[in-house]
Amino acid sequence: MKLLLIEDEKELALSIQKYLTDKDFVCEWVVNAKTAIDKISIYAYDCILLDLMLPDGNGFEILKELKDQNKTEGIIIISAKETLETRIEGFNLGADDYLTKPFHLSELLVRVQALIRRKNFKGSNIVSFNEIHIDILSKAVKVNNNKIDITKKEIDLLLYLIGNENRVLSKSAIAEHLSGDMADMLDNHDFVYAHIKNLKKKLNDAGSGDYIKSVYGLGYKWKNE
Amino acid sequence: MNKKLLHKTSRAYLIYSVLILIISAPIFYYSTERLYIKEADDTLLLHKKEFLNYSASTLKYEDISVWNRFNRNAKIESVKQVTNDTLFFSSYYDTLDAEIEPYRELNFPISIQGKPYTYSERINLVETEDLLKNIAILFFAIISILLFGLFFITKKLSLNLWKPFYKTLQQIESFEIDKTKQSDFVETDVEEFSRLNTSIQKLIERNTVIYKSQKEFIENAAHELQTPLAVFQAKIDTLIQRSDVTQEQSEILVSLNENVSRLNRLNKNLLLLSKMENDSYSDKQTISLSNYIQKNLDFFTEQAKAKSLIIKMELQKDFEIKSNPVLAEVLISNLFLNAIKHNIEGGQISIAMQENKLVFSNRGQPSPLNTDKLFKRFSKSNPSEQGTGLGLSIVNKIADINNWTVAYNYENNLHSFSILF
Repeated sequence: MKLLLIEDEKELALSIQKYLTDKDFVCEWVVNAKTAIDKISIYAYDCILLDLMLPDGNGFEILKELKDQNKTEGIIIISAKETLETRIEGFNLGADDYLTKPFHLSELLVRVQALIRRKNFKGSNIVSFNEIHIDILSKAVKVNNNKIDITKKEIDLLLYLIGNENRVLSKSAIAEHLSGDMADMLDNHDFVYAHIKNLKKKLNDAGSGDYIKSVYGLGYKWKNE
Repeated sequence: MNKKLLHKTSRAYLIYSVLILIISAPIFYYSTERLYIKEADDTLLLHKKEFLNYSASTLKYEDISVWNRFNRNAKIESVKQVTNDTLFFSSYYDTLDAEIEPYRELNFPISIQGKPYTYSERINLVETEDLLKNIAILFFAIISILLFGLFFITKKLSLNLWKPFYKTLQQIESFEIDKTKQSDFVETDVEEFSRLNTSIQKLIERNTVIYKSQKEFIENAAHELQTPLAVFQAKIDTLIQRSDVTQEQSEILVSLNENVSRLNRLNKNLLLLSKMENDSYSDKQTISLSNYIQKNLDFFTEQAKAKSLIIKMELQKDFEIKSNPVLAEVLISNLFLNAIKHNIEGGQISIAMQENKLVFSNRGQPSPLNTDKLFKRFSKSNPSEQGTGLGLSIVNKIADINNWTVAYNYENNLHSFSILF
């Protein structure tokens, strides 16, 4: 999978690049709009991560350029701007997702994965991990071909964990992922524990492996045994 | 009690007018009367002079009775004995008018053919009295008209004169620094008022500029923090992936992670507050409140479960409000999370909709909260907790920009926050 990261903040870009590269993505990084447009015109990408505020112009210009060139790349805007107007304008110009800074790298990763899944959708949309199969569209989970009773939130959590395989996910990152817009107001992340516990139990009961590991006091990690 | 400026001036005018009227009326009356009597006296003395010059020398005894017969008001008598001029008031019965009338009389001695007589002449004062009365009435009327005229003119004039002042006053009263409404002062040709207006205008403009830059500063600061925070967050995310962290390092990382997340929330909430102040959420829609509560109920129930809280809802009396949808959601979430956060283990939350009113009640600390600080930014009942201290001030701000009222009360061990729409 090939990604293009357009971001002028070096430190952030390096972290993103590293996190995604480790996940088998090829992540190219450019710092300004001009190089970005040059790259887009020549190469094809699976996904573009776009910062709106760039030293030589507005990220929206890149969106317009992509539209003009009839490019169909998936685009995730990553921006510190979070007004409704910017969001709407971004979506109108063809962006697929919008992530406000600051965000967790794990969150960015699952968004990229989800976007690529949507883009490459060919009739079925199934995420598999060993004996676990998640049908994204019908919101159903099968373990060893047996359907298990699971809530939407738990599926969300499962996808998040599997997507970030072998990564330590902090409690706050999981909480923010699960609470969405509510995250800014939520200062107690204890509910994560209950969700993890429930999910773990359901998977174990269905005979799946024990993939969810606790990491010190930091959080959790999905790990193939 | 405070009196109006106009009443104060009018009252002074009125008191002055009445005082002048009361004092001047008798003075005028008496001085006119005195003048008239003096006039009568002068006439009598003039007549005496005429008599002495033209008649006295040629008058004979036998003429006296004729004289007396033809002169009603000037008699020559032998009876009275006066040694020099005497002027006095007297009254005589007037047969024509059939009443006693006042007179002014002059007696003086004369000698006719060597014999002493008394010449007495009188002037009827009845006309004088009438005249005096008429003059007094006229005077009274004129002065009254004058004073009342003066009074009303001043009143009307002051009313007109002070009009710009009252308009200015109104402008100042309706001025709110956090509202964008522009104050515009009415042009006036009175120098003082125009100075007043200019200085107030300047004052308002200066303060608005300061207030705006203050607001912008908060928004910019919060905004500028987003990127370094993002870097911070990303670095911690990267660091926690390392497999070689020791127990001790891991503890530091946990603390760092919690605090960057708290910093993040704090910053987001500050941004929200300053955006509200900058009218970023001015578009309104009609919203069903209970729908909004139901919408995120799963999320809240989940949060409440950790504390084994019981949620009671009375949402039958649903009503619609006009508000920005984002803010309505933030309002409900904040109230809900507030009720969860400060609740006791196994406590309860009740959400009730009454006539134009939404009430969130919850158990909590067993004493009322300090209402002075409750809605202030960064005021926390428990300083050690993880909260941002912005939740209730956001609630308050949302209510404020929608013209709703937030009330808090403590009753039967329940802390209640109600929003009056």
